[in-house]
Amino acid sequence: MLNVTAKLLLRSTFHKSIQIRLVAATAEAHHEQILQSFRTPVTNPTEHNSDHLARLYSIPKEDKTVLFQHGGLPKIFATHIKTFNETCLMVREPALDIINCLKTIDYNKPVVRFVLYGQKGTGKSLSLAHIIHYAYLNDYLIVHVPWVGNWMRRPKDNSNSETKQGFMDLNIDAAAWLLHFKTQNAKLLKNPDLKISREIHWTKRETTPKDSTLTELIEHGINRIRFASNCINILAEEIKLLSCAGLCKTLVAIDGFNAFFYPKTRVFADRREIVPPNRITLTEGFLNLTKFDWKNAAVVVTVDELVIAAEDQTSHLPRYLLGKTGFEHLDPFIPVEVTGFSKKEHQSIMDYFRERKWIQPYQGIDEELYFLSNGNPFYLLDLVKSY
Amino acid sequence: MLNLTRNLELSFRKIDKPLYKAYCNASQGKHDEFKALNIRNVKDHSHSKRSVKKTQVLPPRTNQMAVDQDWGSVWPGPRSFHPATVPLPIRQGYTEKGAPPPDKYANAELMKIPNFLHLTPPVIKRQCEALKQFCTPWPKALDTMEKINKHFPIEVTSSDYCYSGPSIRDPMARIVTLRFNLKSLNLDDRAKDKFLRLVGDRYNKETDLVTIVADRCPLRKQNMDYVMYLLTALYHESKKIEPWEELKSQADMEYYDWTKHASKTNVEDIFKCKFEEIPGIDKFSDAVSEYMNEGENEYTIKKYGEAVRTLLQLPFSKEITNKPL
Repeated sequence: MLNVTAKLLLRSTFHKSIQIRLVAATAEAHHEQILQSFRTPVTNPTEHNSDHLARLYSIPKEDKTVLFQHGGLPKIFATHIKTFNETCLMVREPALDIINCLKTIDYNKPVVRFVLYGQKGTGKSLSLAHIIHYAYLNDYLIVHVPWVGNWMRRPKDNSNSETKQGFMDLNIDAAAWLLHFKTQNAKLLKNPDLKISREIHWTKRETTPKDSTLTELIEHGINRIRFASNCINILAEEIKLLSCAGLCKTLVAIDGFNAFFYPKTRVFADRREIVPPNRITLTEGFLNLTKFDWKNAAVVVTVDELVIAAEDQTSHLPRYLLGKTGFEHLDPFIPVEVTGFSKKEHQSIMDYFRERKWIQPYQGIDEELYFLSNGNPFYLLDLVKSY
Repeated sequence: MLNLTRNLELSFRKIDKPLYKAYCNASQGKHDEFKALNIRNVKDHSHSKRSVKKTQVLPPRTNQMAVDQDWGSVWPGPRSFHPATVPLPIRQGYTEKGAPPPDKYANAELMKIPNFLHLTPPVIKRQCEALKQFCTPWPKALDTMEKINKHFPIEVTSSDYCYSGPSIRDPMARIVTLRFNLKSLNLDDRAKDKFLRLVGDRYNKETDLVTIVADRCPLRKQNMDYVMYLLTALYHESKKIEPWEELKSQADMEYYDWTKHASKTNVEDIFKCKFEEIPGIDKFSDAVSEYMNEGENEYTIKKYGEAVRTLLQLPFSKEITNKPL
């Protein structure tokens, strides 16, 4: 009797185990499907098209270290790179739109300007990062300013300009940017054709001779920090000349561009006077680069509320943020709106979080978080901390 | 001394007895009954009950009214509702559920509301007939509204008030309202702009009407003169060009004129030709003007973006994606 029952029990458990295995196998297959739906193996932005929309692609580690070693990704996103152990960007419409335009632009015509705008935390900077990655892989010379606000709102130091009366230099920031530029374009700067067109007299004794390479110019700016700001302006001019000559193709990407037109900076002159951006030496070079009077280049800038003082953050629209002068400087530009997540994008980012084990799966979490975050990626990232 | 007192006593006795009595404290010959104290307040039946006099109520007048009576003479003027005069079975008022509303007798609801029983159509007709003899015939040539507006562009409104009070004056009768079409002044663009700035919110953009109200003088005639003075002054002031008006700059412009802004020169520099020769420029200039004039919103930005894309011959965002939202 006991024997029989034991056998029966054994049999039943055996059957059960088979069932469990089967279930596990189907679940795995299902999991694979989900994997495919929110990730894309295409890591080259050149090949991205509307099929890859709302999917995540990961930037290869070596590209990431070249491009964003000295900033360029939002702070919280940068910490999550470490947490998730990879740099994943979502393929979204604004970036794809601009990349598509960059592919079709006639580079013999004057420069086309794009302006990314949108509410706080919707992903303007990351869209810019996507575009920069595209530019990097397509051998553009990248003139990338990670965040103009760092210069206008949080300058490391400042001093009176020696070359221009009444102007201010941001020495350390300028030198840091030159280093950023050098790392981003290390590959292209090896090209010996990139020479400067004129002799530059820094002081009586220091000169950079004609036909020396761009690298030498940059090195000089980094080593002699006093001339860093001026070096940027000269570099901007030289880049324009080289691009017009067809020696390089340039992408100018500036995050928080409207800071160049916002009068209330936190740069102070000797008597605690506020220095407006048009009195800061750096500004000239980057405004020069965003003009339309050159070719073989494209300009992508973002306008952001966060770059101006909190009391003036009343609208996220480009005309308000750029002001009259800024608008006239960029006009005609192509405004590209960055909106919050759509349902589909939200779904795929939630799948990604689950895959990275960043959130605990439980029923109805997606709808709840979509409702709570209102589709805003930044809020979402903040909210999922507690799940 | 003793004599004097006796004399006095004698003369007192001679005085009339009742008068003497009246001045005398002592009880008179016949002794009055001593009144008992009514502690329990028992009613005294000596008072008779007051009889209530009933007022005679006539039967309502409506009972005697003829069917073809002249209602205008029954109810000649405005008056609050009276149930006996109105021969209608009216009911009004709130009651508990199921019960009919109270009828017209002693119905405060009916008396509260204003009525127009004095303004029945036949009465109005009769009054109009009576007034006709004081009217002049309408000019035959003015048969359409356009003609009226053309020949009589100014419209003056004032109100008369009728009173049966101690004073027949009403302070509101002094107010004069002048109204006219701005178009009828035939002003040029500059003068029109100045006129509108002078007039302020008295101009209605939708109807193109200017309305000026004067009530500062005590009499209507004075207000009327003042209104006409204002109209004249406004007209001539807006035609006048002051030397400081030449200083009007871009920032003072009330609308965005694309041809006078940097946007135009930018586009001309990009294409290196006059803006008239650029294909797609109309759409662009319209979009920029709308962007600036209407203000910044999703719609104007989108339109601007599309215009720039057609101008610079770039692909539209829809061409890369068919994203289902």
